[in-house]
Amino acid sequence: MNKRERFALAAVFALLAAGVTLVMVQAKAEAPAPAVQEQEPLNCSECHQDFQMEWASGAHSSATNDPIFAQAWADQGQPGACMVCHVTGYDPGTGTWEQDGVACTACHNPVPTNHPEEPMPVQDTTELCGQCHSDARFGWQEWQTSTHYQRGMDCTVCHDPHSASLKNVEGLEAQGPSGLCVNCHRDYNMDFPYSNHAMAGLNCVDCHLRHFGSSGGRTIHTMPDHSFTASLTSCTSCHDREMHGPTDAATGAEITTQAVVPATNGALAEEPAPVSPYGFAGLAGLLGLAGGMVLAPWLERAYRKLSQKEKSS
Amino acid sequence: MSETNLNRRDFLKLAGVSVAAIGGLQIYRRAEASSGGPEGEHQWAMVVDQSRCTGCDYCTLACRAHNDINPEISWNQVIETGAISGKQVYLARPCMHCEHAPCVDVCPVQASTYRPDGIVQMDYDRCIGCRYCEVACPYGARSFNWEAFTGRNPAVPQWGQPEVARRPRGVVEKCSFCSQRIDRGLALGLTPGIDPDATPACVVRCPTGARIFGDLKDPESNVSQLLRGHASFRLREDLGTRPRVYYLPPNGSPEA
Amino acid sequence: MKKIAKLKLTPWMAWVGLLVTVIAAGVAAGLMVFVKGLSLTNLTDMVPWGLWITIDLSSIAISAGAFSLCAAVYLLGLKRYQPLARTATFIGLIGYTMALLTLLMDIGRPDRFWHAVVYWNRHSLLWEVTMCVTLYLAVLALEAMPIFAQFEWLRTRLPRLAARMERVHHYAPYLAIVGLGLSMLHQSSLGAVYGVLKSRPLWYRPDISILFIVSAVAGGMALTVFASMLSARITRRANIDDGLLERVAYFIGWILVGYLYFRFWDALSMTYTYEPGRTEGLRMLTSGPFAFNFWIGEMLLGAVVPILLLLRRRTRQVPFWRMLALLLVVGGVVAYRWDTNLSGQLIVLSYLPGEPAVAYTHYVPSLIEFASGAGVVAYGLLAFSLGVRYLGVVNHEAAAEEHFEEMPAREALPAPTGD
Repeated sequence: MNKRERFALAAVFALLAAGVTLVMVQAKAEAPAPAVQEQEPLNCSECHQDFQMEWASGAHSSATNDPIFAQAWADQGQPGACMVCHVTGYDPGTGTWEQDGVACTACHNPVPTNHPEEPMPVQDTTELCGQCHSDARFGWQEWQTSTHYQRGMDCTVCHDPHSASLKNVEGLEAQGPSGLCVNCHRDYNMDFPYSNHAMAGLNCVDCHLRHFGSSGGRTIHTMPDHSFTASLTSCTSCHDREMHGPTDAATGAEITTQAVVPATNGALAEEPAPVSPYGFAGLAGLLGLAGGMVLAPWLERAYRKLSQKEKSS
Repeated sequence: MSETNLNRRDFLKLAGVSVAAIGGLQIYRRAEASSGGPEGEHQWAMVVDQSRCTGCDYCTLACRAHNDINPEISWNQVIETGAISGKQVYLARPCMHCEHAPCVDVCPVQASTYRPDGIVQMDYDRCIGCRYCEVACPYGARSFNWEAFTGRNPAVPQWGQPEVARRPRGVVEKCSFCSQRIDRGLALGLTPGIDPDATPACVVRCPTGARIFGDLKDPESNVSQLLRGHASFRLREDLGTRPRVYYLPPNGSPEA
Repeated sequence: MKKIAKLKLTPWMAWVGLLVTVIAAGVAAGLMVFVKGLSLTNLTDMVPWGLWITIDLSSIAISAGAFSLCAAVYLLGLKRYQPLARTATFIGLIGYTMALLTLLMDIGRPDRFWHAVVYWNRHSLLWEVTMCVTLYLAVLALEAMPIFAQFEWLRTRLPRLAARMERVHHYAPYLAIVGLGLSMLHQSSLGAVYGVLKSRPLWYRPDISILFIVSAVAGGMALTVFASMLSARITRRANIDDGLLERVAYFIGWILVGYLYFRFWDALSMTYTYEPGRTEGLRMLTSGPFAFNFWIGEMLLGAVVPILLLLRRRTRQVPFWRMLALLLVVGGVVAYRWDTNLSGQLIVLSYLPGEPAVAYTHYVPSLIEFASGAGVVAYGLLAFSLGVRYLGVVNHEAAAEEHFEEMPAREALPAPTGD
């Protein structure tokens, strides 16, 4: 056989070999993953970039690296008790931890072996958040007395755990944290803006979510009162002088309540569009046409008379 | 024309028989035009408790995030429907997943079909965007993609993460009862309506528990018990669509 | 071309130039829609069907002359109308292509236009319409083959093909039967597309299907007669038998009487008892934004005036009045479809509990919709003009001669049949 035939045969062999190898290798690559816990943690941010970015912008990610915390921790001799909450996967025995900050597996565990087929556990419970936010200094107990908790709500109703901040609802950002309150308690937003308290610049959280007390002068580990009750303390924080004395606050003034007109979708109207002016114009045109056709001979006669007059004059 | 032997009488006879046959066939086939009933293993239904709904729109936002919906479109709409004793009343309207859905009847390419479990599902690869279903739906539950949705979804990730692909420009979309979550949950042995991972996002995210989801075929499920114990209504029952979303009236619950 | 011929601005060239300009604008608008999507229109989720659907419905309606005249000629034996059936078939072909062009722009995914033929939904009237229109377009193409066989260029260059195309004429009766069946199905189904929607009380009634087909027959035949008369006036390449056309015009007048009768009872029956959505819709038609379109466009000019002009011999015999009446009929047919399509959508019925409240939305077509719609209409006009000039579609003398040549002895009886 000549060179060309030999080359052709060799090419066929090569293709065959490559093909068989490819098939065998692919089959191996698709073998099911071993049912053993991965030694290194799943890199969540490979798929969940949005959550990664949210997390990176919030307090949970900087729980360890925050300069104020780092300074205070160092000053106190690097106590391990702080690390239970300020890192992920703290091992008190060895004093090491898996990740800085409050990372994914701090809340989303145990990690299923066949994720993403099986979803990550997401526990939207007060108990989960309370594992860290439950110190005596935090005052988690007030939350348990609130109607919100008793109705089955949890922290994530208002707080976004990834960005470790309040959720924001479009259209209500201007009201700050109170925007979230009025998003559910819309009835109060009808009259409250016209009240004296509102005119004085107060909003929901100023009375219903006050910060009380401090631990040693610091407000670091304190939480606003999540019982949401506007207690006497809320009032006296501003009106303490008026407790037993004469008050110059306006009383019983006529609070004119304006019915807030619901924002209608611009496309809907109560009445149909009026009759079109073009229709009127068209009708007038038609009438003019008919009239013109009827009057044409007289008009022509009149015109001729006029032009004759001009000719003669 | 000269070669045909068809005279007027024969033609009329032929025409009459054909019309009668076609008409008869149509009536026969009409019986198939509804879903539900004892077909599937489950019959999913949703209950919206108006006495608990505060109109906070969390359900809409969760839906928008989990289904990657254009911010200009809402699969779920929360509507203000007046006030009772000064307290505002809201009504959340997802797709009704009607047992006898007008949208399934009118789609020329059968892009909307009934699943055995009662969910009306959309095949976005088949839809040609004629918008007949949008005209036919009495609940305005369908939205057309006038534009392609590109760019960031503002509801992600605060309200959830997308679980389905974005729809292209030129197709009509609607609520799916988060069938992707239901199917995944069932495969893992979870119970839709009880286990959050198997339940529609709007139901999971509602802070007051105003939305309940479950299996009507199971007489002891949450929805079955609710509907047994409370008066409920559905929207536009006079149209005969037999929707699967039930509403508990606003003054039903003692916590009102 | 060795020398650049001086472009004499004949009326023909001016006409073609105008049409080509409008078509170019339409093509540009259509391309913009393909590229950027339907957000360029003023259509919304509340009014998803607008000007293009109206043009689509109207194109199919005015093409109805084809099936009715072919049925008259080949199935009812009214042979003398054959030349008019020929014109009507050509107009029908143009009309259906116009409808398809408009539909292609209107659906959200033009690349999936073939889905309706592959994926069936026998419950859907729109599916039925699509299938019938597709099949009927094939029938029309076959019926129009003898017309295209007249093309001089084709006759000289490909005489055998031209002869084959001419021979299709032998199957005309069978094509007429199929065409009649398909047309009766989809012309009325187009009305039923609206009529079966229980969610729209203004539309939800069976009369719409009947009104659509009756108005289509009237409008289609009116357009055919009008176009024949206008062509004969403008160019010598078109010639007509005025007596024939006068008889058809008389017939159209009586169809209009039937149509007006149906319309009257259809509207009157809607005035009894209040029904949310329906009563408001009727109010919009009679005293609201559609009032002029309804009373003047549809009723007065679309039906009453043409009836008067066409049923009175004195006016019917005057070509000017006859042409005016026929043009008004076509206008009325278009106005009816615009009113029906829009009125049902502008009424927004609430689905909340309690008696359904009615709100109104509005719709004005955008410039893109106007431009592309005008482009499609200009295409239709251009196609017809070319047909008159090069294919002799308006030719009552020649067609009559051909016809009489082919007829065997027993058909050539002196006594006229039918009418």
